[in-house]
Amino acid sequence: MITMQKLKDLGLNHLSEAVLKRLTQNHIITLLDFLQEDEMKLSALTKLRLNVILSVRAEILTKFSAPIINGTTLLKRISETRTVLNTGILSLDSILLGGIPVGYITELCGLAGSGKTQLSLQLAVNCARRLENTILYIDTKGDFSAIRIQKILDANGCSHKDMAEIMYRIRVVHIWTMEDLVELFKSLNDKTLIINNLALIIVDSLPCLMMQYIGDENKIGFNLLNTLVNYSRFIGNQLNVGIIYINVQTRWIDNDILDVEDDDMSSALREPTYIEKRNRCLGKYWQNIPAVVLLLEKLEDSATDKDSAQIKVTVINSNIARNVNSQCFLNLNALGVI
Amino acid sequence: MKSFKIYNATELWQRETSLPSVATFSQSLDNMLGTAGVQLGSITELLGLPGSGKTQLCLQLCASVQIPKDLGGLDAEALYIDTNTNFTISRFREILSASLLRCQSILEGPLQVTEDQALDKLHYVNAFGLEKFCAFMYTLPKFVEAHPNVRLIALDSISYPFKEGISTKQRTGLLFRLMADLQRIAVENQIAVVLTNEMSTRVGLASGAVVGSLGDAWAHRCNARVLLSTPHQHTDVSEPTHRLALLLKSNVSPSAVARFQITAEGIRDVE
Repeated sequence: MITMQKLKDLGLNHLSEAVLKRLTQNHIITLLDFLQEDEMKLSALTKLRLNVILSVRAEILTKFSAPIINGTTLLKRISETRTVLNTGILSLDSILLGGIPVGYITELCGLAGSGKTQLSLQLAVNCARRLENTILYIDTKGDFSAIRIQKILDANGCSHKDMAEIMYRIRVVHIWTMEDLVELFKSLNDKTLIINNLALIIVDSLPCLMMQYIGDENKIGFNLLNTLVNYSRFIGNQLNVGIIYINVQTRWIDNDILDVEDDDMSSALREPTYIEKRNRCLGKYWQNIPAVVLLLEKLEDSATDKDSAQIKVTVINSNIARNVNSQCFLNLNALGVI
Repeated sequence: MKSFKIYNATELWQRETSLPSVATFSQSLDNMLGTAGVQLGSITELLGLPGSGKTQLCLQLCASVQIPKDLGGLDAEALYIDTNTNFTISRFREILSASLLRCQSILEGPLQVTEDQALDKLHYVNAFGLEKFCAFMYTLPKFVEAHPNVRLIALDSISYPFKEGISTKQRTGLLFRLMADLQRIAVENQIAVVLTNEMSTRVGLASGAVVGSLGDAWAHRCNARVLLSTPHQHTDVSEPTHRLALLLKSNVSPSAVARFQITAEGIRDVE
């Protein structure tokens, strides 16, 4: 806590040794004590003039307020750091206008078996193949398959030496509860856990943890989710990494009544119409948290090539409005996702 | 401060390939699964209508886990969690003897195990009803600690305990908590988990009205899902019934179909 810092450690103007000693004798030790005390009383205690006391207060506020940056500096800062992380898949990069946004939360969602895990394994591989990037893969349902990673690399003609190096840079941690996930992000945040050259964090999957709280009255899951989001945003910014969360879709059926214009038809002839609706999990709060949401849909298997599946990827939500609704098609086969 | 064990993918690869999978005794099924059987450390869900062979496949796997190391097996034990009293010991004995005989004939020598010893390698729990089931699941870590050679947990079926006495929301929460605990045990101790699940009807879905029960969120939870079906039932008993298995979802292999049959000996390929 900033307010609990000791006055003497801050090196403020006008507060000489003698003044600090007098303050301490009167139990004014921390920043908070100083700010909460009456100005007149402080003036009397420290034998400083009232305007000096006020200027010390102003100094404290300036020192601890969030800094103001002008537009030029901001623009310069952005151009100097990486802003997107190439996915290594051309069509995906193009709908994402360059790649996965760094410093933000990206969501991959889709029905079970739509290829979310396969795409994230591929992203881990592609990202680790370039430069010295390290990837942290947070596995909450035992879906990470090193065998699959090795097969993808092998199918792409990777040498054993390269394979070992790439696989060394993909780090995997198994997390089974929301508390542990928050704890992990906390340790990344306070630097008790340091991963060098970290470029991408993948959480596969968040609903597996959050759904453990469904049916609880106390809503503690949402409290943890909120903390997690805050840590994620902070880490994304501080460490300059992309963060991908995997979410699922569920379906429900709406039994709609046909249009009113069909009134002349006898109601007995009407077929009930069922409309399948899809819903992103994790609740209302989460819906607008990710900067980019990618929807994955597995298309019907083509009859010609049974070992290959097509995945349609759509940007359904984006803080860069230009790419919403853009689509691309990816192939999932023995070579991975391309 | 909690410390987290972070592996790199190379370490995990060594771990994943250090032990073989649990074979099904059907080459076609093994190939479809892509890992030469049911993978250790992951949860495989068997779906299908009644009579499609879910329990039979579980029994076969409980026998397969005993394949001796000389034949590339695990020489291990199995835990069978029975929630709907589908298990019959006489049928298991039949499959187990046939499996061991098969191993003997390949090895061209007698196995160093008697039938009683082999039967002792199956641990059976009848967890009938939600309370008994949950209570047992909470004691599972202790059981696994006391039986380090268990490499397979068959749970037949996962949906049965949840049929009544619990709201849908509570069910989802409880299921995900139980599965997180179960998979932690499976991953840390290299145990394969096989679950069976019933089918249910949801009218109006674009992909077809008959789906696995427990909902879409549950479909997300398992690492592999296999749908078993019997498209043509023969009326003539002497003809073997061809059965199909479809891999709906997997983290290692593409979607594929396998053909198998259930004989007196257990699960076998269609000749």
